[in-house]
Amino acid sequence: MQRTASISSFFLASLIVLLLVLSSHGAVAASPDPTEQLRPFLDKVTTTLSEPGLKGKSRREQSDKMISVIRERFDFREMSKRVLGQQWRNLADQEQTEFERLFTQLLQYAYVGKIDDYSGQQIQYIQQRVKGERAEVQTLLVDKTKSIPISYIMLLRNDQWMIYDVVVEGVSLIRNYMEQFSEILRKDGYPGLVKQLKDKIAELEKNINKS
Amino acid sequence: MMHHLGSMEKQLRRLGLLLATVAMLLSGHLAVAADFSGGDVGFFEKVAGSVDFLNDESYEKPTSEVKVSDPIEPFNRAMFVVNDKFYIWLLEPVATGYSKVLPADIRTCIGNFFYNLGEPVRSVNCLLQGRFRDAGSTLGRFLINSIFGVFGLADPAGDEFSIAPRYASFGETLSVWGVGDGFYLVVPLLGPSTLRDFSGTVVDGVASATYAPWNDDTVTTATVQGTKVVNRASLHLGEYVEIKSMTFDSYVAFRNGYYQMRSKQYDHSQPSK
Repeated sequence: MQRTASISSFFLASLIVLLLVLSSHGAVAASPDPTEQLRPFLDKVTTTLSEPGLKGKSRREQSDKMISVIRERFDFREMSKRVLGQQWRNLADQEQTEFERLFTQLLQYAYVGKIDDYSGQQIQYIQQRVKGERAEVQTLLVDKTKSIPISYIMLLRNDQWMIYDVVVEGVSLIRNYMEQFSEILRKDGYPGLVKQLKDKIAELEKNINKS
Repeated sequence: MMHHLGSMEKQLRRLGLLLATVAMLLSGHLAVAADFSGGDVGFFEKVAGSVDFLNDESYEKPTSEVKVSDPIEPFNRAMFVVNDKFYIWLLEPVATGYSKVLPADIRTCIGNFFYNLGEPVRSVNCLLQGRFRDAGSTLGRFLINSIFGVFGLADPAGDEFSIAPRYASFGETLSVWGVGDGFYLVVPLLGPSTLRDFSGTVVDGVASATYAPWNDDTVTTATVQGTKVVNRASLHLGEYVEIKSMTFDSYVAFRNGYYQMRSKQYDHSQPSK
């Protein structure tokens, strides 16, 4: 009888040790899952896009509303850094901040037209790849007539996967702007780039205010 | 009427002959493929080259290395303007009218039909690149879609049998064989390409013309090609102008986009759909 009790307490003790080991191991390896973080974010984006009131609002209100949602998981500083490549390091802190503001504004105004294009398309999650602190989540934006492959390239910052590039049909947004910017930098230098950014933003803004 | 039936019979016979040839080629090569087991991945994909977005270096390359070979930039820029005007003044208005006449599902079916006609050429290109499994899948798609998809109007191979379409072109075959791009080339009415890829496009075009059911007279061929182009444009209305509005130098932006998109098409390490 006593023997049985000791055996069962031994098993109980081993079980507890095993559980402890497992749970601590789990805690160490618990780097958050990129898809699990992206999913609620994209859900929020599509929900906001489907809000009945949104399409009635002015372009400016629409774009302000969307950018506040987008900012939650887009790292615009990282995007700015990458789009400038090596030039980023040559900039003073103040210039970096200014560039980040301009580049964010450019994307905000460039994509506001997309709001009207949203008509309930579904997002399918294909697969993810994680490499250290970088991750790629591949998705498909599906509607009746076509499906568009979109990948989100993310960076792990304080347990949060933050997006720093979007790849549509194989074309990286950042790399595409990077090549255009490097041509401008080569010809007109950084002041020339800032001027062109401001002109483009003004041009897009004019279109926004018109509609 | 009699003549019409006769020519249709001739075309069908020609199509059957082609199918038989491809099937024969394929069965021969499939036996070879068995010896290679797993030869579908590895060497050939590495040659084609792909970009890893998770690799930081790809964002930090100095400009000179990222720069593509574009020695005839002035000519290309001129052709870019020609194509831009052609698209905005002619193609898009025509495609807009066309899209009002035909509903989107029908236009998708027409797009499927043209895509399906290209499958035999794609299958042969897969073979030439040593992608034996893809060659089989592509031929399988062609047979299934031609028979059960009513001449390729529907895509039961993709929808019911989950055989995703595979990209393959003769330009890619040449790249696998080690032929370099030459240089960037904007082709009038066709758009961004390179010397090698445009040569590939011509070869693919000639190859598919040999079994196309309408190669008898020029007017029919031109009408069909025109329909193909307008139909495709009608499924992407407004996209070109919208993308262009976001760019600083649209010539550079589309050149870069072309190279990026192509490196995704040439990368078969991940399923395309």
